[in-house]
Amino acid sequence: MNFFYFASPSTFYRLAGILAPWCFAVAAILGAAGLYVGLVQAPTDAQQGEVYRVIFIHVPAAWMSMFLYFVMACYGAMSLTFNTRLAAMMARALAPTGAMFTFVALWTGAFWGRPTWGAYWVWDARLTSELVLLFLYFGFIALGNAFEDPRRGDRAAALLALIGVVNLPIIYFSVLWWNTLHQGSSVSFKGTSMHVSMLTGMLLMAFAFWSYSIGTALARVRTIILERERRTRWVRAL
Amino acid sequence: MNHDFYIWMSYGMTALVIAAEIAWLRLHRAQALRRIEEERDLEAQD
Repeated sequence: MNFFYFASPSTFYRLAGILAPWCFAVAAILGAAGLYVGLVQAPTDAQQGEVYRVIFIHVPAAWMSMFLYFVMACYGAMSLTFNTRLAAMMARALAPTGAMFTFVALWTGAFWGRPTWGAYWVWDARLTSELVLLFLYFGFIALGNAFEDPRRGDRAAALLALIGVVNLPIIYFSVLWWNTLHQGSSVSFKGTSMHVSMLTGMLLMAFAFWSYSIGTALARVRTIILERERRTRWVRAL
Repeated sequence: MNHDFYIWMSYGMTALVIAAEIAWLRLHRAQALRRIEEERDLEAQD
């Protein structure tokens, strides 16, 4: 199978149209299962009580905010290195969903922080670096749209995305590098300190958000392709 | 202590932003298709 075949916007447009509804369906099923496990099956936390259930959105959203930025920066690097149109369009398609998950992580974190820490917001290293990530997403979107020629916008935004990657290890290791109010990781590749049903609920939600992100990125890239290729023969023939 | 408010605000806002993103996606696509249609009509008039 020749994967370069799908590097063309016209062929990728059709492939994305087939894959996107399946991604949304998988996201809906996994999301429903995750909510059931998280809100019904998982036991009440001995220390935090019921409010800990916010983690079933907060942690997967925070993971997605960082992961989507990394993928967006990879597409940005690809578009700068190989001058590929589709990679730049994919980077643009991922940014709003990444910004949305960053906002969700910050919002749910605030509503978890108030009953557990006594404050909606503190200028903690983890929270502040996550806020910087939200501004990086906004900057990427704004810079990409600031140019009349979309290809120039793509290059400028890709450069910003690559510079902003430095913020990702800062977010991840902030709880180790500084004395923060935010707790350390409960889940790592070495194991977890959580109850199995709590972990199951969180992973189900993480995969649901992952599938949703792929679905929205594919759906959005189809619109971007339509806008940019609207004067081509294949779009006219749609 | 009752934590319902904090849980509802978290889950409610997440549902709201996801719904808003999907609505925005559909609107954006409809606009793009309308623009293509308009250009096609203009070309046909020429």
